[in-house]
Amino acid sequence: MKTLIAEDDFASRKFMLRFLSKFGECDITVDGLEAVDAFLMALESGEGYDLVCLDIMMPAMDGYQALKAIRDIEKEKNIPEEKRAKVIMTTALNEGRNVSKAFELGCVAYAGKPIDQEKFENVLRKIELIP
Amino acid sequence: MVEENNIWTEDEDTQRDKYMTFTACGENYGISISCVNEIVGLSKIAEVPETASYVRGLINLRGKIIPVIDVRMRFGKEPLEYNDRTCVIVITVNKTVVGLIVDKIAEVCTVEQDQIVPPPTVVNNSGQTRFIYGIVRSEDEVTMLIDPARLISDEDQEALRNLA
Amino acid sequence: MAEAYITESMLDMFLYESGQNLEQLENLGIECDKSGELSEASVNEIFRIMHTLKGSSGIMMYNDITTCAHSLEDVFYYIRESKPKNIPVSDVVALVFDSCEFINGELDKIRDGGQPDGSSEALVKANKEFLERLKKNITDGGEKLPADTRKKAPEKFYIAPAVSSDTNHYHITIKYRSDTEMANVRAYTAAFSLKNAVADMYYIPEDIIADENTAEAILADGFHIYVSDKGSEEDVMRSINQGSGISNIEIERISAEEYLNGKQAGPGAGSGDILLPGEQEEPAAKKPAKKASKRSSKKAAEGDVILAPAEEKPVSVGEMAKKAEEQTAKPAAPASKAPMPTASKQTFISVNVSKMDEIMDLVGELVIAESVVVNNPDITGIGLELPNFQKASAQLRKIIGDLQDVVMGMRMLPLAPTFQKMNRIVFDVSIKLGKDIDLEIIGENTEVDKNIIEHISDPLMHLVRNSIDHGIETREERAKTTKSPRGKITLEARNEGGKVWIIVKDDGGGLNRDKILAKARANGLIGNRNEKELTDKEIYNFITLPGFSTKEQVTEYSGRGVGMDVVVQSIQDVGGSLEIDSTPGFGSTMTIKIPLTLAIMKGIVAKIGSASYVMPTGEINEFVTIEKKDLLVEPEGRESIIIRGECYPVIRLKEFYHLKEGYDDVELGTFIVVEYEGIKAAVFVDDLVSEQEIVVKPIPPYIKKIKGISGCTQLGDGSISLILDVGSILKGLE
Repeated sequence: MKTLIAEDDFASRKFMLRFLSKFGECDITVDGLEAVDAFLMALESGEGYDLVCLDIMMPAMDGYQALKAIRDIEKEKNIPEEKRAKVIMTTALNEGRNVSKAFELGCVAYAGKPIDQEKFENVLRKIELIP
Repeated sequence: MVEENNIWTEDEDTQRDKYMTFTACGENYGISISCVNEIVGLSKIAEVPETASYVRGLINLRGKIIPVIDVRMRFGKEPLEYNDRTCVIVITVNKTVVGLIVDKIAEVCTVEQDQIVPPPTVVNNSGQTRFIYGIVRSEDEVTMLIDPARLISDEDQEALRNLA
Repeated sequence: MAEAYITESMLDMFLYESGQNLEQLENLGIECDKSGELSEASVNEIFRIMHTLKGSSGIMMYNDITTCAHSLEDVFYYIRESKPKNIPVSDVVALVFDSCEFINGELDKIRDGGQPDGSSEALVKANKEFLERLKKNITDGGEKLPADTRKKAPEKFYIAPAVSSDTNHYHITIKYRSDTEMANVRAYTAAFSLKNAVADMYYIPEDIIADENTAEAILADGFHIYVSDKGSEEDVMRSINQGSGISNIEIERISAEEYLNGKQAGPGAGSGDILLPGEQEEPAAKKPAKKASKRSSKKAAEGDVILAPAEEKPVSVGEMAKKAEEQTAKPAAPASKAPMPTASKQTFISVNVSKMDEIMDLVGELVIAESVVVNNPDITGIGLELPNFQKASAQLRKIIGDLQDVVMGMRMLPLAPTFQKMNRIVFDVSIKLGKDIDLEIIGENTEVDKNIIEHISDPLMHLVRNSIDHGIETREERAKTTKSPRGKITLEARNEGGKVWIIVKDDGGGLNRDKILAKARANGLIGNRNEKELTDKEIYNFITLPGFSTKEQVTEYSGRGVGMDVVVQSIQDVGGSLEIDSTPGFGSTMTIKIPLTLAIMKGIVAKIGSASYVMPTGEINEFVTIEKKDLLVEPEGRESIIIRGECYPVIRLKEFYHLKEGYDDVELGTFIVVEYEGIKAAVFVDDLVSEQEIVVKPIPPYIKKIKGISGCTQLGDGSISLILDVGSILKGLE
């Protein structure tokens, strides 16, 4: 599993990196813009990400915008539905409105901070990223 | 509208060592400022029958109706005529809002934890000892720190009722 | 207001919605059981509800709820698609109820902040076995099950933040010596050392590195770190890089709520989400509102009033599941196509009850303020003619009156949901007691103030249980009579003279007058009264006294008469009363009479000494002044007066409450003749002040309950007056 993490807070970033490195290679970006760049680069090199974890409140470009951009890129490149990257939002915003907005934009899961590692792993298993 | 009552309680920790002192029956008392909402002048009290004598009744605090108790009488002393120095300290203890009628407000002062000595355990002259949890001596003055929760609880009433 | 709804947390939304769905499910189950058939509509509806529950619990990752809902959905999918004949309806209903109960139990656990740890295994098995049985029954010649056309469950998940019960929350206070330099940097080092060791944390003051001025604040107030972690105090303390300059460091355990509240209040919530300037506007603008909305959503749990209409359409978890499904089902919908029509336009919004109470309070204040203005001595005192002022104030009064009516109307809710709940109780209790009982509901659309409904639900439930248990006879007993073998309970509500009557009627054996009398005698409840003088009503009333019961065999459902006194108490708490009537052999009727609303009423203000008391106008017959000769004093001191040949007992409030002030001479004061449920008395007061609209407020709980006082109110001049509860004073006379 190849993962991209976009997170502006150092501690959270470190946590996510430590947590997700167990499952494979992890790349890190510190804002939404960089995340989209990294995503594009990976696609062009022919090795896209399986999982993208996006924080919502980030400088330069927020998580929603990044998510939308990623989905637009995939659409433009005609990547079939099942091959698209799975996106999980990771954020401290837990109001229903934020969650529904993220789902509408096409993320697969929405994880409230602090991250519940056990549930997170469950989700990864359910979406068949890890065995 | 709701907020204004909370200005004192907003950040309790910064007020941790601050006490509001007042006088009642010639003694100085202190009460932790974290439970004090505001000080108001005494307005007309509506008496409520069939309550303990120190419960003087109800006052109208900008549309909110709160009970007031006379601290002097709570300590088992004779009531004093109220005058224009008489104040009501509005406190919140365990979500209960109560007004304390006191003779006079003195000041707000800071008391370090290590200045507080426990009160003598021997019960002496008056019935106030059970409300006091600490004593502060400074120069020639003595201030007794009141535990507001004990002040408004009526366990003594219940004890009496059980006896009867 | 719609804003507050949308900002409900994901979890609150899920709980609220699932609760609603389950309630509906229960009602459908009862309906099917009653009619003895599964109508197509109810099958579709149950299927839909299960489908929604499956989807939304799936998003929330409550696996056992999902599997339970899924297995029941399968059953109904089969019923819907292959329409088997001879379905054992009662078995299906039992399955529905079992699943309902399981999910409700799990939801309760979640509501209490726990984990839904129940296992649905047994239920799933039962549902599956039932489905197999159904399929077997129709294999010969029956319709074949069409291919499963259902869409795959949406792959969307919500991972709730890890604030579980086994997580501890701490508040650490670090104090630095007052001569410490760069306290902010030292504080940061300490915070930094923790950041990597614990699950989540934040600290106050916030931007200690960027803002040097925080050093002073830290020296003055200390540096506060809030930590959420599974570790113990010692673990956390060990992780802190203590550094130099620290004079004192303290750790205390706090609740999850306190932790989250502090987090909301803190300027930059969360460890990760620090707001930076130049970010897009939306989240920034939302920030100040966040704290307030969070607080109100916390309280919302007790129940919301629904208002109509509004444009805002909150997206729900269930809809989310639906939407997600639409998306997965039609991945390549061309953009030019019109958007899918969304279910239906929302014409209701949810409003927090506390907000409704606030409006009610404000309207009350407005009513008082209006009377202060209109009756202001500056205007009324001089004898001026003020035609324009009078006209304007009449208009103002009318508008305020209308406003009051509208606000009261908004608080009124139909009794239907409360009555519907009784369906389930009748179903459960009658099955367990082996009695066949029908429940008839009349007038369920009668409306009552929301606060009253809340208080009436439990007593009503108890009365219904009582009727099933004690009222309706057993099958054998019933067979001996000419009555139909099925017992019948009627639940009726109607408006009657400014009050709402709720009637629980059964066609059972009726109350046993002699048994009650014997029991009352044994318990010494009759006192010195002559038994022959007691009316039937008075005898029946004995059953409402504490600890009374005639039922020899105590059952699980109504217990040993506990409750009848509690029932009466809770009805009285909302200003209501309970009347009992019974005909031997033909059943009993319990009538609850409750006021339409509690909040505003008309009252007469009377004075005794300097204190004033209010009595509800509705309970006052007349005012009289008398001469000394009209006052009769009995030898033991009881007083009464005679008006137009009728004798009224006298209540002197001064003596009743041991007041210091007030007249003793009956010729100086006035008698107020009051009547409550047929009991009459004359209350002696010094003087009458006025009739006013009064806004009832509760006596602060600090003051214990006082006999005969139901609340207090603020009069036009700002002073406070106590409201007399005429009913309980008169009952005390008896």
